[in-house]
Amino acid sequence: MSKELEFTRIIREHEGVIFKITTIYTNNHDDQKDLYQEIVYQLWKSYANFRGEAKISTWMYRVALNTAITRLKKEKRRGIQIGIDKIIMQQTQQYDTEFEERLKVLYTHIHGLNELEKGVMLLLLEGKKYEEIAEITGLSPSNVGTRISRIKQKLKSQIVKK
Amino acid sequence: MKLEEMQAVWSEMGDQLEKQKKLTDKMISMMIQEKYRNKLNKIAYPEILGAIICITAAVMILLNFNMLDNWYTQVSGIISILVLLLFPILSLRSINRMSKVDIAGNNYKETLLEYAKGKKQFMKVMKLSYYLGFILMFVIMPVTSKLIKGKDIFAESISVWTYGIAIPLAISFFIIFSRWVYKSYQNNIDAAESLINELEEND
Repeated sequence: MSKELEFTRIIREHEGVIFKITTIYTNNHDDQKDLYQEIVYQLWKSYANFRGEAKISTWMYRVALNTAITRLKKEKRRGIQIGIDKIIMQQTQQYDTEFEERLKVLYTHIHGLNELEKGVMLLLLEGKKYEEIAEITGLSPSNVGTRISRIKQKLKSQIVKK
Repeated sequence: MKLEEMQAVWSEMGDQLEKQKKLTDKMISMMIQEKYRNKLNKIAYPEILGAIICITAAVMILLNFNMLDNWYTQVSGIISILVLLLFPILSLRSINRMSKVDIAGNNYKETLLEYAKGKKQFMKVMKLSYYLGFILMFVIMPVTSKLIKGKDIFAESISVWTYGIAIPLAISFFIIFSRWVYKSYQNNIDAAESLINELEEND
Protein backbone atom coordinates (compact mmCIF):
# COMPACT_ATOMS: atom_id res chain seq x y z
CA MET A 1 0.00 0.00 0.00
CA SER A 2 1.40 3.43 -0.91
CA LYS A 3 2.25 5.86 1.84
CA GLU A 4 -0.56 8.23 0.82
CA LEU A 5 -3.16 5.48 0.79
CA GLU A 6 -2.02 4.28 4.20
CA PHE A 7 -2.17 7.82 5.53
CA THR A 8 -5.64 8.34 4.06
CA ARG A 9 -6.83 5.20 5.80
CA ILE A 10 -5.46 6.41 9.14
CA ILE A 11 -7.09 9.80 8.78
CA ARG A 12 -10.44 8.30 7.85
CA GLU A 13 -10.20 6.01 10.85
CA HIS A 14 -9.51 8.93 13.19
CA GLU A 15 -11.55 11.69 11.58
CA GLY A 16 -13.76 11.95 14.65
CA VAL A 17 -10.74 12.61 16.86
CA ILE A 18 -9.57 15.47 14.63
CA PHE A 19 -13.09 16.88 14.59
CA LYS A 20 -13.32 16.81 18.39
CA ILE A 21 -9.96 18.55 18.79
CA THR A 22 -11.03 21.30 16.40
CA THR A 23 -14.21 21.91 18.39
CA ILE A 24 -12.20 22.51 21.56
CA TYR A 25 -9.62 24.87 20.13
CA THR A 26 -11.83 27.08 17.97
CA ASN A 27 -14.89 29.24 18.47
CA ASN A 28 -16.48 29.30 15.04
CA HIS A 29 -17.00 27.13 11.95
CA ASP A 30 -14.51 28.97 9.75
CA ASP A 31 -11.69 28.64 12.25
CA GLN A 32 -12.67 25.04 12.80
CA LYS A 33 -12.42 24.26 9.08
CA ASP A 34 -9.02 25.97 8.88
CA LEU A 35 -7.72 24.05 11.85
CA TYR A 36 -9.06 20.72 10.54
CA GLN A 37 -7.22 21.24 7.28
CA GLU A 38 -4.04 22.39 9.02
CA ILE A 39 -4.02 19.36 11.33
CA VAL A 40 -4.37 16.94 8.41
CA TYR A 41 -1.58 18.78 6.58
CA GLN A 42 0.76 18.73 9.60
CA LEU A 43 0.01 15.05 10.19
CA TRP A 44 0.93 14.30 6.59
CA LYS A 45 4.14 16.33 6.89
CA SER A 46 5.25 14.46 9.98
CA TYR A 47 3.98 11.09 8.78
CA ALA A 48 7.17 10.57 6.76
CA ASN A 49 9.16 10.60 10.01
CA PHE A 50 6.73 8.49 12.00
CA ARG A 51 8.64 5.33 12.81
CA GLY A 52 6.00 3.56 14.82
CA GLU A 53 7.85 3.96 18.13
CA ALA A 54 4.74 5.45 19.69
CA LYS A 55 1.17 4.31 19.13
CA ILE A 56 -0.40 5.89 16.05
CA SER A 57 -3.06 7.56 18.22
CA THR A 58 -0.37 9.02 20.53
CA TRP A 59 1.47 10.49 17.55
CA MET A 60 -1.78 11.79 16.13
CA TYR A 61 -2.92 13.50 19.35
CA ARG A 62 0.51 15.01 19.82
CA VAL A 63 0.72 16.55 16.35
CA ALA A 64 -2.94 17.62 16.33
CA LEU A 65 -2.74 19.28 19.75
CA ASN A 66 0.55 21.00 18.89
CA THR A 67 -0.98 22.31 15.67
CA ALA A 68 -4.03 23.58 17.51
CA ILE A 69 -2.08 25.60 20.06
CA THR A 70 0.49 27.05 17.69
CA ARG A 71 -1.99 28.31 15.14
CA LEU A 72 -1.95 32.07 15.08
CA LYS A 73 -5.54 33.11 15.41
CA LYS A 74 -6.12 35.58 12.66
CA GLU A 75 -9.80 35.70 12.05
CA LYS A 76 -11.30 36.70 8.73
CA ARG A 77 -8.21 35.61 6.81
CA ARG A 78 -9.26 32.78 4.63
CA GLY A 79 -7.24 30.59 2.34
CA ILE A 80 -8.65 28.01 -0.04
CA GLN A 81 -10.88 25.63 1.87
CA ILE A 82 -11.54 22.05 0.94
CA GLY A 83 -15.19 21.02 0.94
CA ILE A 84 -15.16 20.00 4.55
CA ASP A 85 -17.84 22.59 5.34
CA LYS A 86 -20.43 19.91 4.81
CA ILE A 87 -18.78 17.52 7.23
CA ILE A 88 -18.58 20.03 10.02
CA MET A 89 -22.08 21.37 9.41
CA GLN A 90 -23.66 17.96 9.08
CA GLN A 91 -21.89 16.52 12.06
CA THR A 92 -23.17 19.20 14.33
CA GLN A 93 -26.62 19.49 12.81
CA GLN A 94 -27.66 15.93 13.44
CA TYR A 95 -27.77 16.20 17.21
CA ASP A 96 -31.11 16.57 18.99
CA THR A 97 -31.81 19.74 20.92
CA GLU A 98 -31.32 18.24 24.35
CA PHE A 99 -27.97 16.72 23.42
CA GLU A 100 -26.96 19.96 21.73
CA GLU A 101 -27.69 21.76 25.02
CA ARG A 102 -25.55 19.32 27.02
CA LEU A 103 -22.76 19.69 24.47
CA LYS A 104 -22.93 23.46 24.82
CA VAL A 105 -22.55 23.20 28.59
CA LEU A 106 -19.62 20.83 28.11
CA TYR A 107 -17.89 23.22 25.71
CA THR A 108 -18.50 26.18 28.01
CA HIS A 109 -16.70 24.29 30.78
CA ILE A 110 -13.82 23.32 28.51
CA HIS A 111 -13.40 26.82 27.11
CA GLY A 112 -13.10 28.05 30.70
CA LEU A 113 -9.89 26.04 31.16
CA ASN A 114 -6.41 27.23 30.26
CA GLU A 115 -4.48 25.70 27.33
CA LEU A 116 -2.64 23.13 29.43
CA GLU A 117 -5.78 22.00 31.23
CA LYS A 118 -7.68 21.92 27.95
CA GLY A 119 -5.22 19.41 26.49
CA VAL A 120 -5.29 17.21 29.59
CA MET A 121 -9.09 17.43 29.72
CA LEU A 122 -9.46 16.42 26.08
CA LEU A 123 -7.30 13.36 26.58
CA LEU A 124 -9.15 12.49 29.74
CA LEU A 125 -12.48 12.74 27.93
CA GLU A 126 -11.04 10.55 25.19
CA GLY A 127 -10.59 7.90 27.85
CA LYS A 128 -6.79 7.97 27.87
CA LYS A 129 -4.95 6.53 30.86
CA TYR A 130 -2.63 8.73 32.93
CA GLU A 131 0.47 7.14 31.34
CA GLU A 132 -0.69 7.90 27.83
CA ILE A 133 -1.74 11.43 28.79
CA ALA A 134 1.75 11.83 30.25
CA GLU A 135 3.36 10.54 27.06
CA ILE A 136 1.42 12.94 24.86
CA THR A 137 1.69 15.99 27.08
CA GLY A 138 5.21 15.56 28.45
CA LEU A 139 3.96 15.81 32.05
CA SER A 140 4.83 13.11 34.53
CA PRO A 141 2.00 10.66 35.39
CA SER A 142 1.84 12.06 38.94
CA ASN A 143 1.61 15.60 37.58
CA VAL A 144 -1.20 14.47 35.27
CA GLY A 145 -3.05 13.31 38.39
CA THR A 146 -2.49 16.65 40.09
CA ARG A 147 -3.70 18.56 37.03
CA ILE A 148 -6.81 16.41 36.81
CA SER A 149 -7.62 17.09 40.47
CA ARG A 150 -7.24 20.83 39.79
CA ILE A 151 -9.48 20.58 36.74
CA LYS A 152 -12.14 18.81 38.83
CA GLN A 153 -11.94 21.58 41.41
CA LYS A 154 -12.19 24.20 38.73
CA LEU A 155 -15.26 22.49 37.27
CA LYS A 156 -16.86 22.37 40.71
CA SER A 157 -16.24 26.07 41.25
CA GLN A 158 -17.72 26.82 37.82
CA ILE A 159 -20.89 24.97 38.88
CA VAL A 160 -21.03 26.86 42.21
CA LYS A 161 -20.66 30.21 40.41
CA LYS A 162 -23.69 29.41 38.27
CA MET B 1 -21.71 19.48 34.90
CA LYS B 2 -19.57 16.87 36.65
CA LEU B 3 -16.60 15.19 35.02
CA GLU B 4 -18.42 11.86 34.74
CA GLU B 5 -21.33 13.55 33.00
CA MET B 6 -18.92 15.32 30.66
CA GLN B 7 -17.30 12.02 29.81
CA ALA B 8 -20.72 10.55 29.00
CA VAL B 9 -21.61 13.45 26.66
CA TRP B 10 -18.18 13.25 25.03
CA SER B 11 -18.45 9.54 24.47
CA GLU B 12 -21.96 9.93 23.01
CA MET B 13 -20.62 12.54 20.59
CA GLY B 14 -17.81 10.16 19.68
CA ASP B 15 -20.31 7.40 18.92
CA GLN B 16 -22.36 9.68 16.72
CA LEU B 17 -19.27 10.88 14.86
CA GLU B 18 -18.22 7.29 14.32
CA LYS B 19 -21.53 6.62 12.54
CA GLN B 20 -21.26 9.66 10.32
CA LYS B 21 -17.86 9.32 8.72
CA LYS B 22 -17.86 11.78 5.88
CA LEU B 23 -14.28 12.32 4.78
CA THR B 24 -13.49 11.07 1.29
CA ASP B 25 -10.08 10.06 -0.04
CA LYS B 26 -10.21 12.99 -2.44
CA MET B 27 -10.76 15.48 0.41
CA ILE B 28 -7.81 14.11 2.36
CA SER B 29 -5.64 14.11 -0.75
CA MET B 30 -6.48 17.79 -1.31
CA MET B 31 -5.88 18.71 2.33
CA ILE B 32 -2.34 17.38 2.27
CA GLN B 33 -1.35 19.50 -0.69
CA GLU B 34 0.56 22.66 0.15
CA LYS B 35 -1.37 24.76 -2.37
CA TYR B 36 -4.66 24.26 -0.54
CA ARG B 37 -3.25 25.14 2.81
CA ASN B 38 -4.41 28.25 4.58
CA LYS B 39 -0.96 29.74 4.99
CA LEU B 40 -2.45 33.08 5.90
CA ASN B 41 -2.94 31.79 9.42
CA LYS B 42 0.71 30.97 9.76
CA ILE B 43 2.35 33.86 8.04
CA ALA B 44 1.37 37.20 9.36
CA TYR B 45 0.74 39.09 6.11
CA PRO B 46 -0.11 42.44 7.73
CA GLU B 47 3.22 42.38 9.53
CA ILE B 48 5.08 41.60 6.30
CA LEU B 49 3.21 44.35 4.45
CA GLY B 50 3.95 46.74 7.33
CA ALA B 51 7.63 45.78 7.18
CA ILE B 52 7.79 46.56 3.44
CA ILE B 53 6.16 49.97 4.01
CA CYS B 54 8.48 50.79 6.92
CA ILE B 55 11.65 49.77 5.07
CA THR B 56 10.58 51.67 1.93
CA ALA B 57 9.94 54.79 4.00
CA ALA B 58 13.30 54.45 5.77
CA VAL B 59 15.12 54.05 2.43
CA MET B 60 13.30 57.10 0.99
CA ILE B 61 14.40 59.24 3.94
CA LEU B 62 17.94 57.91 3.70
CA LEU B 63 18.18 58.59 -0.05
CA ASN B 64 16.94 62.15 0.40
CA PHE B 65 18.78 62.85 3.63
CA ASN B 66 20.73 65.71 2.03
CA MET B 67 17.44 67.66 1.77
CA LEU B 68 17.26 67.80 5.55
CA ASP B 69 19.38 70.89 5.95
CA ASN B 70 19.21 71.76 9.64
CA TRP B 71 20.01 69.91 12.84
CA TYR B 72 16.45 69.32 14.04
CA THR B 73 15.15 67.85 10.76
CA GLN B 74 18.29 65.73 10.58
CA VAL B 75 17.76 64.42 14.13
CA SER B 76 14.10 63.77 13.30
CA GLY B 77 15.23 61.98 10.13
CA ILE B 78 17.65 59.74 12.01
CA ILE B 79 15.07 58.89 14.70
CA SER B 80 12.47 58.16 12.00
CA ILE B 81 14.82 55.82 10.14
CA LEU B 82 15.72 53.98 13.36
CA VAL B 83 12.08 53.56 14.39
CA LEU B 84 11.06 52.50 10.88
CA LEU B 85 13.74 49.81 10.83
CA LEU B 86 13.19 48.69 14.41
CA PHE B 87 9.44 48.08 13.87
CA PRO B 88 9.68 45.27 11.29
CA ILE B 89 12.78 43.66 12.80
CA LEU B 90 11.13 43.26 16.20
CA SER B 91 7.74 42.09 15.01
CA LEU B 92 9.01 39.68 12.33
CA ARG B 93 11.55 38.22 14.75
CA SER B 94 8.91 37.42 17.33
CA ILE B 95 6.52 35.95 14.73
CA ASN B 96 9.35 33.83 13.39
CA ARG B 97 10.03 32.52 16.89
CA MET B 98 6.42 31.41 17.29
CA SER B 99 6.24 29.72 13.90
CA LYS B 100 9.45 27.76 14.47
CA VAL B 101 7.95 25.51 17.13
CA ASP B 102 8.60 21.86 16.26
CA ILE B 103 5.07 20.50 15.94
CA ALA B 104 6.09 16.93 15.12
CA GLY B 105 8.95 16.56 17.59
CA ASN B 106 7.74 18.39 20.68
CA ASN B 107 5.32 17.13 23.26
CA TYR B 108 2.34 19.27 24.28
CA LYS B 109 4.09 20.82 27.27
CA GLU B 110 7.19 21.81 25.28
CA THR B 111 5.09 23.30 22.49
CA LEU B 112 2.90 25.19 24.91
CA LEU B 113 5.92 26.56 26.75
CA GLU B 114 7.76 27.66 23.60
CA TYR B 115 4.61 29.15 22.13
CA ALA B 116 3.63 30.99 25.33
CA LYS B 117 7.12 32.49 25.55
CA GLY B 118 6.95 33.55 21.91
CA LYS B 119 3.49 35.00 22.40
CA LYS B 120 4.57 36.95 25.45
CA GLN B 121 7.48 38.36 23.48
CA PHE B 122 5.21 39.22 20.55
CA MET B 123 2.72 41.02 22.82
CA LYS B 124 5.55 43.05 24.35
CA VAL B 125 6.76 43.99 20.88
CA MET B 126 3.26 45.00 19.84
CA LYS B 127 2.88 47.17 22.93
CA LEU B 128 6.24 48.81 22.28
CA SER B 129 5.29 49.32 18.62
CA TYR B 130 2.27 51.39 19.57
CA TYR B 131 4.41 53.69 21.68
CA LEU B 132 7.10 53.90 19.01
CA GLY B 133 4.35 54.63 16.51
CA PHE B 134 3.36 57.74 18.38
CA ILE B 135 6.95 58.93 18.62
CA LEU B 136 7.25 58.33 14.89
CA MET B 137 4.08 60.30 14.24
CA PHE B 138 5.72 63.42 15.73
CA VAL B 139 9.29 63.03 14.46
CA ILE B 140 8.28 62.19 10.91
CA MET B 141 6.19 65.36 10.47
CA PRO B 142 9.11 67.79 9.98
CA VAL B 143 10.89 65.21 7.84
CA THR B 144 8.03 64.58 5.41
CA SER B 145 7.17 68.26 5.28
CA LYS B 146 10.75 69.02 4.27
CA LEU B 147 11.06 66.12 1.82
CA ILE B 148 7.69 66.48 0.11
CA LYS B 149 6.96 70.20 0.22
CA GLY B 150 10.42 71.54 0.95
CA LYS B 151 8.99 73.39 3.98
CA ASP B 152 10.42 73.68 7.46
CA ILE B 153 7.32 73.34 9.66
CA PHE B 154 9.08 74.70 12.72
CA ALA B 155 9.97 77.93 10.92
CA GLU B 156 6.94 78.39 8.66
CA SER B 157 3.79 77.00 10.16
CA ILE B 158 3.52 78.55 13.57
CA SER B 159 -0.25 78.67 13.69
CA VAL B 160 -2.92 78.45 16.36
CA TRP B 161 -4.28 75.37 14.65
CA THR B 162 -0.98 73.45 14.87
CA TYR B 163 0.17 74.34 18.35
CA GLY B 164 -3.15 75.22 19.99
CA ILE B 165 -5.39 72.45 18.69
CA ALA B 166 -3.72 69.70 16.62
CA ILE B 167 -0.75 68.89 18.88
CA PRO B 168 -2.68 68.99 22.21
CA LEU B 169 -5.40 66.86 20.59
CA ALA B 170 -2.81 64.33 19.37
CA ILE B 171 -1.21 64.19 22.84
CA SER B 172 -4.58 63.67 24.58
CA PHE B 173 -5.45 60.96 22.08
CA PHE B 174 -2.07 59.33 22.69
CA ILE B 175 -2.58 59.27 26.47
CA ILE B 176 -6.06 57.70 26.20
CA PHE B 177 -5.01 55.27 23.49
CA SER B 178 -1.79 54.18 25.19
CA ARG B 179 -3.70 53.37 28.39
CA TRP B 180 -6.05 51.17 26.37
CA VAL B 181 -3.14 49.52 24.56
CA TYR B 182 -1.34 48.90 27.84
CA LYS B 183 -4.40 47.31 29.40
CA SER B 184 -5.30 45.05 26.50
CA TYR B 185 -1.77 43.79 25.83
CA GLN B 186 -0.91 43.49 29.52
CA ASN B 187 -3.83 41.09 30.04
CA ASN B 188 -2.47 38.81 27.33
CA ILE B 189 1.09 39.11 28.63
CA ASP B 190 -0.09 38.24 32.15
CA ALA B 191 -2.04 35.23 30.86
CA ALA B 192 1.02 33.96 28.95
CA GLU B 193 3.22 34.61 31.98
CA SER B 194 0.96 32.65 34.30
CA LEU B 195 0.85 29.73 31.85
CA ILE B 196 4.66 29.76 31.61
CA ASN B 197 4.92 29.70 35.42
CA GLU B 198 2.45 26.84 35.60
CA LEU B 199 4.36 24.87 32.96
CA GLU B 200 7.68 25.48 34.64
CA GLU B 201 6.43 24.27 37.99
CA ASN B 202 8.40 21.28 39.11
CA ASP B 203 6.82 17.90 38.57
